[in-house]
Amino acid sequence: MKKNLAWILIYGLPLPLLLVSLMIGPSPDLQLGDYTTTAARLLKGMGVEADSRPALVVGIIRNIRLPRVLLTFMIGAGLATSGASLQGIFRNPLVDPYVLGISSGAAFGAALAIAFPLLSINLSAFVFGVVSVLLAYLFAASRANASIVSIILSGMIVSGIFTALLTIVQFISDPFKLQAIVQWTMGNLHHASWSKFNQAVIPVGVGVIGIYILRWRLNLLSLGDDEAKAVGVNPNRDKFLLIALATLVTTASVAAAGIISMYGLFVPHMVRMLVGPDNRRAIPANIFFGGSFLLLIDNFSRSMLQFEIPIGIFTMLLGAPFFIFLMKKNKINWV
Amino acid sequence: MHTENSIQIADLSFAYGEQPVLQNINLQFPAHRFSVLLGRNGSGKSTLFNIIAGLLRHSSGSVKLLGKETNFLSYGERARLIGFLPQFHKAVFPFQVRDVILTGRAAFSGIRPSKEDSGRVNRAMAELGIDHLAGRAYTELSGGEQQLVMIARILVQNPSVIILDEPTNHLDVYHQTQLLGHLKRLSRSSYTIIAIMHDPNLAFLHADHFYFMRHKTVVYPPGGQGHYDVQFLKEVYDVNFKIVPVDDRKIVVPVQQ
Repeated sequence: MKKNLAWILIYGLPLPLLLVSLMIGPSPDLQLGDYTTTAARLLKGMGVEADSRPALVVGIIRNIRLPRVLLTFMIGAGLATSGASLQGIFRNPLVDPYVLGISSGAAFGAALAIAFPLLSINLSAFVFGVVSVLLAYLFAASRANASIVSIILSGMIVSGIFTALLTIVQFISDPFKLQAIVQWTMGNLHHASWSKFNQAVIPVGVGVIGIYILRWRLNLLSLGDDEAKAVGVNPNRDKFLLIALATLVTTASVAAAGIISMYGLFVPHMVRMLVGPDNRRAIPANIFFGGSFLLLIDNFSRSMLQFEIPIGIFTMLLGAPFFIFLMKKNKINWV
Repeated sequence: MHTENSIQIADLSFAYGEQPVLQNINLQFPAHRFSVLLGRNGSGKSTLFNIIAGLLRHSSGSVKLLGKETNFLSYGERARLIGFLPQFHKAVFPFQVRDVILTGRAAFSGIRPSKEDSGRVNRAMAELGIDHLAGRAYTELSGGEQQLVMIARILVQNPSVIILDEPTNHLDVYHQTQLLGHLKRLSRSSYTIIAIMHDPNLAFLHADHFYFMRHKTVVYPPGGQGHYDVQFLKEVYDVNFKIVPVDDRKIVVPVQQ
């Protein structure tokens, strides 16, 4: 793909897309004219009168669409960035942010909180997501040298355990709670609110910025442990730090928006096809492209039909064709 | 002629659990020379290298890198002293060659490589004659080219000692000759080069000093004939050899029975 085109796609797209996204939504009686008159009034410094149409527009944008658009962008950026860093650390292009069991742990946590409302759903999902990673690490570390394969394997085991526990909770829940649990696991950006945004912004922000700072170290880690030690670097410290940051980002994202499957797997590949594998370029590209691509998908999911299609389903339906298109075009052959 | 030693090993023994791998090793590698360690598979060569490189810690005996005990070196100090080319390398992501080489600076440039680091990368590529590969994907290179890239990566680290575990493995004759020529040249500039090799003739042709391992320890040829000694070579390799003169030098040829 042409270099300039990739550049525009990654860095030129976000801002206009954010603005357009604010004007999209399931309120069919709002016309383009409403946005222009409101914008004109605000630009002239006139303000909006209560109960007027411009006030309605401002209310919808400020209270409903803006938090959703920002949350979506943040979660897209977060999943893509943590997916890219985990693929690098584990030197495995098949890895996604949920590899250490975060999604199953968080789903179980959320289900538990839905069935037995002791903790808030978000908090419970966050806690169990972190617990799953700690367990995966603990299982793997019982052997002297935690190899990549043993960490990924114990991640799968932890994932299996929490999926089993989730099934128990689903089995004993009444139909209404069961429905809520199932919907939660499909991804639930339509519940976006300022409070969800505020809960997620700090962990996701800290994690993404941390990964951004360490992006060059990621190149070294992707060459392997021996290659790091060969040039005098202890890879374990960097690895631990990056896994902790990626866990923070992923868990906070899942807690805020449910499970958006595959997104953190294929976006880093798309970015690699657009800008190459050097993480100094790929990490910022993942942040911007990951954010705007999820926003684009979410715009479709909330405007195509009369009812909203859960984002988790739409990422696959829209992401997969684009991914396959890029794969065919770039002829990347994994050995 | 330099007489100082880059690496001094005294009374070194090492075991994986109960299994002894190295027994009572005493060995010095001279500075600014190209030395080769030879011996059969499983004689302990790679373990010895891993200890010298600091990837394994030894519990008895001493291993000194330019006078400093390796067990007490931090990663940063070690990076200044020694660079290690491990035996197997399999890349997953198609990084550009110049980005792979740049990671050799990771011990010194914390989170971001500097302008000067890129200069070092360019000089290292020029030194090994691989400038033309700079923009290529590492994963698409041939085995010989990949090996040179990994050596360039160690050159940008700029250590005093470079140790290489079977650098000529899987290379064709052209690349073997080219690579060993580079190693010889590097040993004449500021580096001390030590390599594990399997082909005695190739080693004898290019290197300065030879060390042989047999049954977990270092063995030396009895005085006089040096390493062109069929009796000694049979002890090391468990194979009969014949020594054949070719022009003004000799080669050793394994023979049946």
